[in-house]
Amino acid sequence: MKLQRVRIEDLRQFRASLTLDNLQPGLNLVHGPNESGKSTLVRAIRAAFFERYRSSAVEDLRPWGDSGAAPTVEISFEHGQQQWQLTKQFLQRKRCDLQIGSDSFSGEEAEEKLADLLGYQFAKKGASKAEHWGIPGLLWVEQGTGQDIELAVGNASEHLQSALNNLVGEVASSGGDEVIQSVEQQRAELLTTTGKPRGDYVQLDRDRQQLETRLVELDERIERYQSLVDRLGILREAHNKAERERPWDGARDNLKLAETRFREIETLQQQQQRDHEALNSVHQRLELLMRSREQFDDQRRKLDQRQAVFQSAERALQQQQAQAPVLNGAVEDARKQYEAARQMVDKARLHDHRQRLQRDLTQLENDLRALEAGVAKATDYQTRLDQARQAKQQNLIDKAGVEQLQKTRRALEEETIRSESIATRLSWQLEPGKILQLNGKPVEGQGTERLLDDSTLAIPGIGTLGIMPGGEDLGRVRRQIERLEKDLQDQLAGLSVQSSVAAEKRLARYQDASIQVERLDELLKSVAPGGIDRLKSRQTEVNEELAERRKDWQAILEAGADEAPKTLAAAEADLAAAEQRLNDAEQAFRQHETGVLKTSHACESAKREWEELRAELNGPERQQQQDELDRDITEEQKRQQALETTMTQRKASIDEARPELLQQDMTRLKATIDQLEKAHNSRALEIHELCGRLEAWGAEGLEEQRNELAAELEHVNRRYNELHRRARALDLLLDLLQTRRQALTKRLQAPLQKHLDHYLSVLFPQARLEVNEQLIPGTFTRGNELGQVTELSFGAREQMGLISRLAYADLLQEAGRPTLVILDDTLVHSDSSRLVGMKRILFDASQRHQILLFTCHPDNWRDLGVEARDLEALKTKAATSAAPGQK
Amino acid sequence: MPKFLHTADWQMGRVFSRFDTDDGAALAEARYGAIERLAELATDQGCDAVLVAGDVFDAQMVSERTIRRVFNAMAGFSGPWVLLPGNHDAALVESVWTRAQRLSAVPANVLLALESGIIPLAEQGIAVLAAPLTQRHTYSDLTEAFDTMATPAGLIRVGLAHGSVQGILPDEVDATNPIAPDRVERANLDYLALGDWHGAKEVNERTWYSGTPEPERFRNNDAGYALIVEIAEPGARPEVTWHDTAKYRWHQWREQLSVASDLDALLKRLENLPETSVIDCRLEGTITLADDQRLTEALSVAEAKYRSVSCDRAGLQLEPTDEDIAALHADGYLGEAIKELRALQSGESQTEARDALGILARLLKARSSPGSAEQASAAAGYGTAAGGAGR
Repeated sequence: MKLQRVRIEDLRQFRASLTLDNLQPGLNLVHGPNESGKSTLVRAIRAAFFERYRSSAVEDLRPWGDSGAAPTVEISFEHGQQQWQLTKQFLQRKRCDLQIGSDSFSGEEAEEKLADLLGYQFAKKGASKAEHWGIPGLLWVEQGTGQDIELAVGNASEHLQSALNNLVGEVASSGGDEVIQSVEQQRAELLTTTGKPRGDYVQLDRDRQQLETRLVELDERIERYQSLVDRLGILREAHNKAERERPWDGARDNLKLAETRFREIETLQQQQQRDHEALNSVHQRLELLMRSREQFDDQRRKLDQRQAVFQSAERALQQQQAQAPVLNGAVEDARKQYEAARQMVDKARLHDHRQRLQRDLTQLENDLRALEAGVAKATDYQTRLDQARQAKQQNLIDKAGVEQLQKTRRALEEETIRSESIATRLSWQLEPGKILQLNGKPVEGQGTERLLDDSTLAIPGIGTLGIMPGGEDLGRVRRQIERLEKDLQDQLAGLSVQSSVAAEKRLARYQDASIQVERLDELLKSVAPGGIDRLKSRQTEVNEELAERRKDWQAILEAGADEAPKTLAAAEADLAAAEQRLNDAEQAFRQHETGVLKTSHACESAKREWEELRAELNGPERQQQQDELDRDITEEQKRQQALETTMTQRKASIDEARPELLQQDMTRLKATIDQLEKAHNSRALEIHELCGRLEAWGAEGLEEQRNELAAELEHVNRRYNELHRRARALDLLLDLLQTRRQALTKRLQAPLQKHLDHYLSVLFPQARLEVNEQLIPGTFTRGNELGQVTELSFGAREQMGLISRLAYADLLQEAGRPTLVILDDTLVHSDSSRLVGMKRILFDASQRHQILLFTCHPDNWRDLGVEARDLEALKTKAATSAAPGQK
Repeated sequence: MPKFLHTADWQMGRVFSRFDTDDGAALAEARYGAIERLAELATDQGCDAVLVAGDVFDAQMVSERTIRRVFNAMAGFSGPWVLLPGNHDAALVESVWTRAQRLSAVPANVLLALESGIIPLAEQGIAVLAAPLTQRHTYSDLTEAFDTMATPAGLIRVGLAHGSVQGILPDEVDATNPIAPDRVERANLDYLALGDWHGAKEVNERTWYSGTPEPERFRNNDAGYALIVEIAEPGARPEVTWHDTAKYRWHQWREQLSVASDLDALLKRLENLPETSVIDCRLEGTITLADDQRLTEALSVAEAKYRSVSCDRAGLQLEPTDEDIAALHADGYLGEAIKELRALQSGESQTEARDALGILARLLKARSSPGSAEQASAAAGYGTAAGGAGR
């Protein structure tokens, strides 16, 4: 189908006629600014095909404010090697004419022809809507809808399917989808989408289970009822049997028998008990008797013992008595030894005394001699003391006067010296034998003399020399000397001495005598502290003692104990030992005597006791007692034996009767009777109770109920199984149909996919766009990117939309359908690089299809290689060409 | 000249679970009618007594109403009825009988043979020797006691028992409640009235099963009769006559369909039954879709006509013919689906395939019905092409 020319008139803003002619079989680009009428042109083409010429719903075609207008569209095209001419007038002059080659059609017939040709439908009434547009709806893209492909494909699907059917040579089954839908619906009544039962189906299953449960319950109750009936049967039979047989009566008889027998045994047991007691008393008596006998025996034994004791005591006494002389001898010996020791001590003591006396004598003699010496010395010292005292008396002098004297003398001497110093010194050295006289005194040899006074030196043979001492103090010295001399004389006088030397001598003597006195006094005191007299009396005393001692000594000498065998100490020790021995011996003797005494006492008492007992035991009374006792014992023993025999026999008969078993029998029989009666009673009770229960249960008519329930269950089951079968059948059917349909779809998809791939590879070499069952582009894959077309960006969706439409166009063309692509301002959202790709695609498509491309962006499409037709220019041209036309 | 009616196996209180509820109720109800008819028959025929040989009740625990209705239904015959407990209503210590007695539902002329022994009907000239079942299961021959039972002179000796005569009945019949086949001779009986076998059956000239008076199962064994027995005198040969007492007759058909005429024959049979029929039909073989439709319609008609109609078509394979497919306008993959389903019918999922095919056929038929004629014709155009492609 190739559009050649479109003319419009009286349509919206195109009051005048506008002709778009000289349309090319391939790409045609029409441009113009906004509101220049591009969309009106497109609308006019659509109206020509889609709107019924008679429709009153095309008011939008009317030019503004012109109620009398008749919007007209004229379209010439070529299809199937025929020339088609369509003229449609709306509103005021409703008209439709179609010329195909030489055939003419008009009105609805013309319209049907067109619809058949292009693959669309007319609206039943009102304006044509997208759902009617079919194939053109898919290939004619209105402004801003290029991206919405799904709806368009949906609307065209029937036509597409049939085109595809032709192409593939198969049938997509008319109404197949409808059948599938019906099957789905029917299935949905029974099953959920996941295949689970729902609605009546699931309810029936529930009912079924509920009924089954109830049935089981009822069955259980019935079974219980039946078992109770059985139980009742058993019980009643047992009860009747018991009533008939009365087993407890038999047991009662047996009990009576057992009781009688047991009572007999009881009597025996009592007798046995009595005998047992009697035997016990016999035993006791026997025991007592035996004890008496034993006592007698004991006494007899005691007598023997006593005799033995006595005899042994006697023997002991004899033995002891035999020891006496020995012990006595020992005492005597000890005493002798003691005497000897004592004498020895006496001797030693005498000897000792003599020695002491001797020592005393010596001592006394020594003392006496010492005393004599002391007396002599004391006498001497007394004498000398007396002398010294006398000397002291004689030389008594005042010591201080002496010292004064000496002072005076020294002062005199000093004055003298001084005088001498001032005195003339006369020295001499005379020839031996020559003597001179100085002042009358001879001078010889060598010497010196001081001269204070005028002196004369007479030299024998020669004459006298007078010497006169000179000097100033000589006179005062001389006076001094004179005074001193005078003092000295006085003092001397006072001291009654001649000279100071004498005084000093006297003082010395006095002091010497004083010392003598003191010393002698001391000595005397040391020799005779108490005085000589006392010493002398002592001497006398010693003398007297000595005399005494000598007398003693004399006596001792006479005694003659000049020598001793032992020392006194040894002798005394011996004595002590001897004394000890003596004491011991005496002690032993005494002890022995005591022992003997004791033994003899014991012996006597033992003898007495023995004799007493012997007398008692051997008496006639005792003999009688003994005899009686023996008799009693024999008697009791006999009785015991008799009793024992009886008891043994009786025990045998008791044992034989088994009283414990008899007792058990009685217990058992009693229990049996009890149990039988009780069982009987409880059975009766249970029968009664069971009857009540069974009556109550029976009244419910359980089995009939059960059968009704079973019937209901069977009905439900049947219905359920029907639904189950139906569900399974539907499942199978749906699965089968869907599988078939999918397989078919796959086959149908292939050619479309081929064209789609062809275009897409231009835009995205690695990408893939897959069509779904409805032949709508669905999954888009590009590298790792995977998603639905609807998830792509607006621009990309628009591109995919266009690509898909071109693919459909290819498909339709292959199926021999007319294809015309009209694009109103498309791809405005594509970037320049995508646009380049799309242009290549469009150009490629235009090799097979006629494409009308309307745009307000002519620059975008400049390199399409076709002439761009300016709508404004067309309008002007129309106006100019119209003018002559009208004329 | 004693004359009595011999019947058995009333199975009162039975519930018919396999039928729809109202059908089941009608069938149950018919059993009361049967008792009434028996009473009427006995009266009409001038019977001296009615002997019921066991299984009067179907279960021990039937409702009180059932018990009362059973005895009420006997009102039509005022002579003595002798009721023998059978295996379904054994005379246990607590049983339907004791309940009936407690309810005072038993009329004076109805005698319950709850214990083994003689029930002398001197007036009627009959001595009934009863061998009631007193256990749920009995493995000994209870009629053995008849051998030693002495009856008053001049009365005919009629044994009344419930069980299986040994060696006579099919093997599958329960071996419990055995009865010696020569009991009549051994016990010197004039007649042995038996129950348990639901069809009327002669064991020997003096031993009979009466069967149930109203059929209650499909097995065709002469159910639905009562026997009237006349014995001139003790030792005389009994005159036994059959009397139809059934309201409903039960029919069970097992048919193999292979060609269209088979179906025709079946449908004809189906048409010509009395209305009081209970039909159970099981079909096997193959059928075309068109015939299947015909069958469905015929069954629908029959359902409305008869008491109960059930037809098991699970064993019937649908064999759609090309005509069928064309008639259904099943083009494209629908046609293929039909073929596949047809093939599947002989596989594992036979039933499902058959059902699925039925569903599909109905759907397509609905589509091609006059309401969518246009669509159908359009589809037919493509269908021709598809038919070629499909093969």
